[in-house]
Amino acid sequence: MLRIAFAASGTVPLAGTVALGCGRGRRLTPSLAGFETGGRLRRTLKRIGFTGETGEAELFRAPPGGLDALIVLGLGGSKRRRRDWRAAGGALLEALDESGAVSALAALDLPAEAAADLAYGLVLKGYRPTRQYRTRLDPDDEEDQPPRLETVTITTDDPAAASQIFAAREAVAEGVFLARDLTNEPGNRLGPEAFAERARQLEALGVEVTILDEAGLAAAGLTLIQAVGRGSARPPCLVLLRWPGADEPPLVLVGKGITFDSGGLSIKADDDEMEAMKADMAGAAAVLGALRAVAGRRARSHVVGVLTLAENMPSGHAQRPGDVWTSAAGLTVEVIDTDAEGRLVLADALAYAARHFAPRAMVDIATLTGTVEEVLGDYHAGLYANDDRLAKQLLKLGKAEGEPLWRLPITDSCDEDLKSAIADLRHCAWGEGIPDNDDAARFLWHFVPPEVPWAHIDMAGKEFADDEDPLCPEGTTGFGVRLFDALAGA
Amino acid sequence: MKIAFSKPSLPSAGALVLAVAEGGALSPTAQTLDAETKGSLTRAMTAARFEGKANQTLTLLAPAGLDLARVLLIGIGKAKAFNALSAQALGGTVIATLLNAGDSEATLAIEPVPGVALSPAQIAAEAGFGARRRAYRFDKYRTKEKKEDKPSLKRLNVTVEAQAEAKAAFSRLDSLAEAISLTRDLVTEPGNVIIPQTLAEKAKSLTEFGVEVEILDEKAMRKLGMGSLLGVGQGSEHESRLVVMQWRGAADPKTAPIAFIGKGVTFDSGGISIKPAAGMEDMKGDMAGAATVIGAIRALAARKAAVNVIGVIGLVENMPSGSAQRPGDVVTSMSGQTIEVINTDAEGRLVLADALWYTQDRFKPKIMIDLATLTGAILIALGHEYAGLFASDDRLAERLTAAGTAVGEPLWRLPLGEAYDKQLKSDIADMKNVGGREGGSITAAQFLKRFTNDVAWAHIDIAGTSWSKKDSPTCPKGATGFGVALLDRLVADHYEDKGSK
Repeated sequence: MLRIAFAASGTVPLAGTVALGCGRGRRLTPSLAGFETGGRLRRTLKRIGFTGETGEAELFRAPPGGLDALIVLGLGGSKRRRRDWRAAGGALLEALDESGAVSALAALDLPAEAAADLAYGLVLKGYRPTRQYRTRLDPDDEEDQPPRLETVTITTDDPAAASQIFAAREAVAEGVFLARDLTNEPGNRLGPEAFAERARQLEALGVEVTILDEAGLAAAGLTLIQAVGRGSARPPCLVLLRWPGADEPPLVLVGKGITFDSGGLSIKADDDEMEAMKADMAGAAAVLGALRAVAGRRARSHVVGVLTLAENMPSGHAQRPGDVWTSAAGLTVEVIDTDAEGRLVLADALAYAARHFAPRAMVDIATLTGTVEEVLGDYHAGLYANDDRLAKQLLKLGKAEGEPLWRLPITDSCDEDLKSAIADLRHCAWGEGIPDNDDAARFLWHFVPPEVPWAHIDMAGKEFADDEDPLCPEGTTGFGVRLFDALAGA
Repeated sequence: MKIAFSKPSLPSAGALVLAVAEGGALSPTAQTLDAETKGSLTRAMTAARFEGKANQTLTLLAPAGLDLARVLLIGIGKAKAFNALSAQALGGTVIATLLNAGDSEATLAIEPVPGVALSPAQIAAEAGFGARRRAYRFDKYRTKEKKEDKPSLKRLNVTVEAQAEAKAAFSRLDSLAEAISLTRDLVTEPGNVIIPQTLAEKAKSLTEFGVEVEILDEKAMRKLGMGSLLGVGQGSEHESRLVVMQWRGAADPKTAPIAFIGKGVTFDSGGISIKPAAGMEDMKGDMAGAATVIGAIRALAARKAAVNVIGVIGLVENMPSGSAQRPGDVVTSMSGQTIEVINTDAEGRLVLADALWYTQDRFKPKIMIDLATLTGAILIALGHEYAGLFASDDRLAERLTAAGTAVGEPLWRLPLGEAYDKQLKSDIADMKNVGGREGGSITAAQFLKRFTNDVAWAHIDIAGTSWSKKDSPTCPKGATGFGVALLDRLVADHYEDKGSK
């Protein structure tokens, strides 16, 4: 991870590569004004269309005053929220990478919390995707050149306070990076067992980790998880993580962790970019990352994570369309499309967690349905909830953390689609115009006791970002970690 | 965009662009700037790992010690490999980097580079050519573009010692660029604007360059027996047209001409064999072959090429309707050969069949070259890099291939042969218009060959190259104008009167 240092304002000489601030309307900060020569800087900024909003950063490679490089960083107007500082940090990271500097000074003289959030944005955008499977890099491809930036020093009124706040942010960033790393792993490298081993490593931070293997799943009656995993040579498992940071009923987070989803016997079409299905465990990665975050910052909160780990493969042992199973909740389920496997594993995990942990709230997250992308595009994730207060809180936190949600309804009209001729429920329906994202949410609803405040996040499509994302380089996102960390609270 | 040439002198304002060869030393100008900026240039190159690789760029904004708005370094790769196309890419990269960057004026300093075979004047002219092509825009339908989205760069000044020589070389290239822009415009125009009649009118405008233009309407074509072409257009409300363009530039205007034939389906819905909805909007470009022929004739006439050249374009709109041609219909072509129409979406070859026959029948040309966005199969075979080349004559194929390589419009030859021809056998007519999925581009060419009457002929399938989904150094994404420079080059190299160049 990028190294961040905080220094007291005015104590570090401006040398090497330096970032200085510029407010909305090209209002130069006093330190930047020191580099103004006869109005040339402002004229240049105007000409190139730099206005001073957050998210803007401009690199000057031959600045006055003997600096190696000067970066003019947009700081926006006077009302700046955390997410503005983080976006500014992300923009600064890109300019610093472009500059080629190894170390840099952001002489912005910020209040402690703003400095910490700027650093947080730098670190999140400065994630370097894993290169462990690259044995050679193309010297002619600039994208292939390893970045050089190692250290950024940020000036602030109160370095000690900034360091303290940033330490907590950095712990969250570690959680985000864990989720990004895991989501990026190929299916042959990260099966259910290997994923569980990665979860086990959180014990070092004081997280209690319990793994239910096949025998454990059978004993607990988690039939649907077993059914989804039975086609694979690698057995499924359920991982329970507990961060006992406070004496209270826990917040329970449940993640869908299909380490590879071929679709099973209802195999996916070969033009579906099936290789992206290695990321069908991004929900479980988000939950694990969130536990890493709360444990890393020693949050005073009781959080339980549940990872449903299975691989969905066709084979002679695989479940068939038409099979009927008795779920952990006791409801019988007819399997229609084996490629709608996520709701099966989640149904068992939600019922199990509600029974065993008496949650204060329960939220599941999953790359669940392709139709949610048709509904919401690639900006918002879908939010369903049986509790308005929980929904409101999640919407607000999602906005603040840059992981935006949009609420969609849970309606009993979906029960028509879920009616089975042979069992209590069928788990999905075929046909044009079926609201599969709503049906999936409604299906899960049947497995959650009504007294438990519960929300379901369908993050299909949000597991990958392009390079436009202000806080993530192109690739896997770790979507959900920041949201869940914020939901866990202090 | 104004592109001007002048003697070397360091500008005091705007952007200054310098070329840097890979691993090469700084040019004299670059050394001066480095000194005046106290080594900022070399420091920035090191920091940015700028090594002069082809099309690598490095920007120094408002550099201290200079009054310039910016210094832009552009890599040109290894000096030994540097050629006219590299020079065009250099000019194009200047535009790609600066067009919307805020500066209104830029100076590209061309200095001698050790090891480069081209003269600085040639480099300057070719760079101007690349810049002109990269600056192409099609904005006529944007009514509320934001100021910051409009190009800021108004003028590119190319400085070179042999300024007059560069200017003269550029002027011919600039005229070629105009012709390419015309082709791009025509391909980009939507199908409700470009219909057979309007495209014929566009061709008619070449009379201003001394081209003789005739437009045949449906009545005239019916009289000639062009049942194959007319069948394609019969579903449309817009009448079909055949346009004949003649440029007689050779010393003897009576010598046998060469001929270019273009497919001009102004919109191709597929007809009754209708296409899937997704991507159908691209079919406004199914007249790119005709647009290329118009562009090529314009280029040759504008530079008064010493050649007799004929351009023939078949213009139709392919639409489903109550009067449209049906699968199973049999039509009689101008050649007398009958065709069973199996798939109404294989319409380009039906149009070209009559256009080719008409061309050889009336003009007795030395060679015929047709261009067409003919088959989707050519994308499967060659992607977007090469256009497919089919030829009945090896020498013509070699000449075309060489010309394509020289201008950066590469062709790849694919086979013709008896076995493919057999796939066109019909149970009811002399041939059917499709030969099945296998070898789809080849059977299409084989179909055309039946209408060439053994004249030396080549067919270029540009379905994969007439439109680009991504920017290249010399072409913004969109219509490419592929083929115009190629035909111009082919004529210049082989078909002009000797000593006239």
